[in-house]
Parts: sequence; structure tokens; C-alpha cells
Amino acid sequence: MSYLHISCALIILCSIAAGMIRILSGPTAADRMMAAQLFGTCGVAILLLLAKGMDTIVLLDIALVFALLAALATITFVRRAWHEQSGVPRR
Amino acid sequence: MITLDNLGILCIVMGLPFFLTGTVGLLRFPDIYTRLHALTKADNVGLGLIILGLSLQADNLFTVAKLILIWILVLIASSASCHLVARSAMQKNIHPWVK
Amino acid sequence: MQDNNRLSIHSHSHLGRCIFLRFLLFSAVWLVLTGSEAESWIIGFPAIGCAVFLSLKLSPSSHVSLSFVGICSFIPFFLRQSSLSGIDVMRRALSRRLAVNPGLVSYTTFLPEGAPRIFFVNTISLLPGTLSADLQSNTVTVHTIDKNIPIWANIQNLELRIAILWRVTPQKGKAL
Repeated sequence: MSYLHISCALIILCSIAAGMIRILSGPTAADRMMAAQLFGTCGVAILLLLAKGMDTIVLLDIALVFALLAALATITFVRRAWHEQSGVPRR
Repeated sequence: MITLDNLGILCIVMGLPFFLTGTVGLLRFPDIYTRLHALTKADNVGLGLIILGLSLQADNLFTVAKLILIWILVLIASSASCHLVARSAMQKNIHPWVK
Repeated sequence: MQDNNRLSIHSHSHLGRCIFLRFLLFSAVWLVLTGSEAESWIIGFPAIGCAVFLSLKLSPSSHVSLSFVGICSFIPFFLRQSSLSGIDVMRRALSRRLAVNPGLVSYTTFLPEGAPRIFFVNTISLLPGTLSADLQSNTVTVHTIDKNIPIWANIQNLELRIAILWRVTPQKGKAL
């Protein structure tokens, strides 16, 4: 177990926590979604650091799935939620 | 061997400020577009440095290849979703903040 | 008749090369994902076959092809530019007075529709100070974080590098 990697992961977790302010304050739905995108990138970084720090190589695969899901979430949001909510017809 | 490990640690530690400033930008910048700048660029560089550091510390080449694959995937995903968010903001007539 | 024949032979060899390259690419991805276990290829080969088939159906073999020299010169350029863009954002976010002066710029590109243009639009977002905000046929709307940086020259440089990467020749009479 490597404390260096785990403390680096903790620092990145702090930056996610700060990003939550943006989720709470908005103002538009897209700003909230961007914070979710931040979670995606930071989450991947945390998982990679933990994979090394805790010697759990499986976490790399989870990071891979995480990266895909973050992209999927944003795309779904843009295509469905944001457009329908404002009454603008989707293309 | 030890030096490669230390170099990796240096890269990982250098990546951290990028994540922190990405979040600072997300909180401080005035509108959607500028926040997107902060989010996409800073985080990708931060992740790139962390992946470089972890690659230097990796045990075998498979792990390095997987790490690079993850980075490429995140790059594609974040630039595509950045463009999508910006484009739908434009279509919704959200005007960029001007000085 | 003979001409027609030659054409079809040429397109066959092109298709074969295309299938082979995609097969190699997907095999490499599979190898990276599963590691060195030999048994994984029991699932791997059918999966790669499906992927090659689907990718040919969804994006048929294009006329543009990547140049190896282009890739070799593009990767260092990209790495350098994207780290510069990270440092740039860092500087702006941390400066005491907010150092942003945003604006919009329209840019007409000569890159052909399809992969080169999509690649262009996506890489703009990773360059220092620029973000692609819209794409209508061949016009890209670029949002810039600072109107004082030479956006035009930067984007043109990127466009030329991508043209080399995809072996596209710049058209004459391009609107500047």
C-alpha cells in the first residue's frame, strides 16, 4: 500500500468536493452537467491512483468504464434532458 | 529503477495542481463557455501527467498500454462532450459573457 | 472494359487493406483490454470480426488515409499544445483579476467532411484558448477565452497539420 498515491487521490477528491459548489449554484442545467463531467475525469484519476496505491489492478478496468459512462451521461443529457426541458425541439 | 519511480512520483504530484485549478476555473469563470475551457483543458493535462507518472511506475507494458488507452478515451470523450455542451448552449441562444 | 476491371481490382485491394488495418486495430485494443491470456481470444476473435463488420457498415472505407509521418509529427505537436493549454487555463484561473476576454470567431475550413473535419473540431477544444462551439457544414464557430491571442494563426496551423495527417491537399482559392 502506498500512502503517496492515496493522499494524491484524496487531494483530487477535494477538487471534486469544491466542484459540488457549482452543482449547487448552477445557474443553468449545463453548469451542473459540467460538474458531473468533472467527476468523470477526476473519478478516473482517483481510480487509477487507487489501482496503484492499493495494488488492485482491476480498478484500471473500472476506470475505463467510468470514462465511457461520463461521456455517455453528457451526450444523453445534451440530446434529451436539456433540449426537452426548454421546449426546443430536438433535431 | 529508483529514479524512474521517483520521476513517476514527480509527474503525479505535478498533475495535482491542474485538477485543482480546473475546479477553481469552474467556480470562478463567468459563463458556460469559459467554464468549459477550464474543465476540458486543465483536467486533461492533469490526467495526462498522472497517467505519465503511473506509466513510469508500471510493472509491465500491458498496464502502460491500458493507461494510455484510458487517456485517449478520456480525451475523445471530454472534447466531444465539451463541443456538444457548447453547441447546444449556442443553439439555445446563450450569449457568451463579454468583458 | 480493361479500365473498369483495373478499377475494381484496385477497389478490392483497397477494401482488403482497410479490413486488415481495422482488424489489427481492434486486435490491439482487445490485447490491451484482456492482457496476455490466450483463452480470451475464444471470445476475442468473434468479437473482433463483429467489430470489423460493423465498422465497415457504419463508416465505409474512406478515400482519405492517415500518413505515418503525419502521425509522428502530430503527436508531439498535440502533446505540447495541450500542455500549454492546461498551463494557460491555470494561469487565468489563478490570476487575481479575472484574466478572461472571451469572444467568438468563425472559421471556414477546407478539410473534407467526415473524419478529418470531426478530428479538427475536436482538437480545437484541446488547443490553448480555443473551444469549438458550433459546426455548420464547413464553418466552425470558435469560442476563445482571450481575444488577444493569435487564434487565427493557431487554428490555421492546426488545420494544415491535420491536412498533412490525413493527406488532404489544401484547395486553391480558399476563403481566408
